[in-house]
Amino acid sequence: MILVSGASRGLGRAICERLVARNHTVMGLARNVEGLPFPSMACDVSSYEAVKNVAQELKKSGAKIEGLINAAGIASMNLAVTTPPEVTQRIVHTNLLGTIYCCQVFAPFLLRNKEGAIINFSTIAVSLGLKGESVYAASKAGVEGFTRAFAREMAGFNVKVNCIAPGPIETALLQGVGEKQVADIVSRQIIPRQFTPDAVSDLVEILLDKRSSSLSGQVLHVGGA
Amino acid sequence: MSDPETLQLEIFKDIQSRLSGRQIEVTENTPLIGDLSCLDSIQLVELCLALEDKASELGFTFDWTSEAAMSKSRGMFRTAGALAKEFLAQRESQK
Repeated sequence: MILVSGASRGLGRAICERLVARNHTVMGLARNVEGLPFPSMACDVSSYEAVKNVAQELKKSGAKIEGLINAAGIASMNLAVTTPPEVTQRIVHTNLLGTIYCCQVFAPFLLRNKEGAIINFSTIAVSLGLKGESVYAASKAGVEGFTRAFAREMAGFNVKVNCIAPGPIETALLQGVGEKQVADIVSRQIIPRQFTPDAVSDLVEILLDKRSSSLSGQVLHVGGA
Repeated sequence: MSDPETLQLEIFKDIQSRLSGRQIEVTENTPLIGDLSCLDSIQLVELCLALEDKASELGFTFDWTSEAAMSKSRGMFRTAGALAKEFLAQRESQK
């Protein structure tokens, strides 16, 4: 089974649909799972208790988890000085703590198998230092640092941990970002074109595959940065 | 078979078996984390997974990822005795 957080929309949903199409057993996690066309469980990843409850349910069911994809994320395009503290906390709780909680709680399933892949999500905003995304970038920079260190902790168990850092992908997360701003960010990528969720799903498949077993602790930039 | 003293001894024996031949007597005060730990981090995780299995055989769930487990000063990994005590306490609480 492959667990995917943020499964109700955006990249998380696209990844779930791709993996289901490839005959993987997927369990999507999201705050609202109503109407999702694949197996799913309600879970707010910013709550440690909620994540633990999901893990307990999965343990009871005897689920064997081979992959964990932490795609849950929120953003608020704002200057840091005009970002309300509750928004800052929500971003950090979901993006950074949510990723850490899921890794802490679900990694033991993978440790037991001595095999598996964990994929976290960052953003091009970290490497480019994008104006108006400082809080979001800070939360994702934390994810990158966590990924590198956590990869070392998991290496002895044959579990690889990597991070995908997309540029502006065509998803709901991009709503509120002007076309000109998107074009500007895309122009700063090594490959200056806007990629689709399909490109990210391709990379996810590669990182889940046993043939990428030599790759861990890496941040992979979609489009290059 | 599953009285507290026997279980504690079994846990100490399990730890002993992971010491790769090192001559250390595992007692209640044997540290499991920190500079003086007898186990490395991988061995500690493997011990926890083994205790999960043991708990399952005994009909309860052993949770080693709780907040208390994470704290070095008062957590269950402080010593072999603390770990055994926590294991037994979790069994008791689920009876």
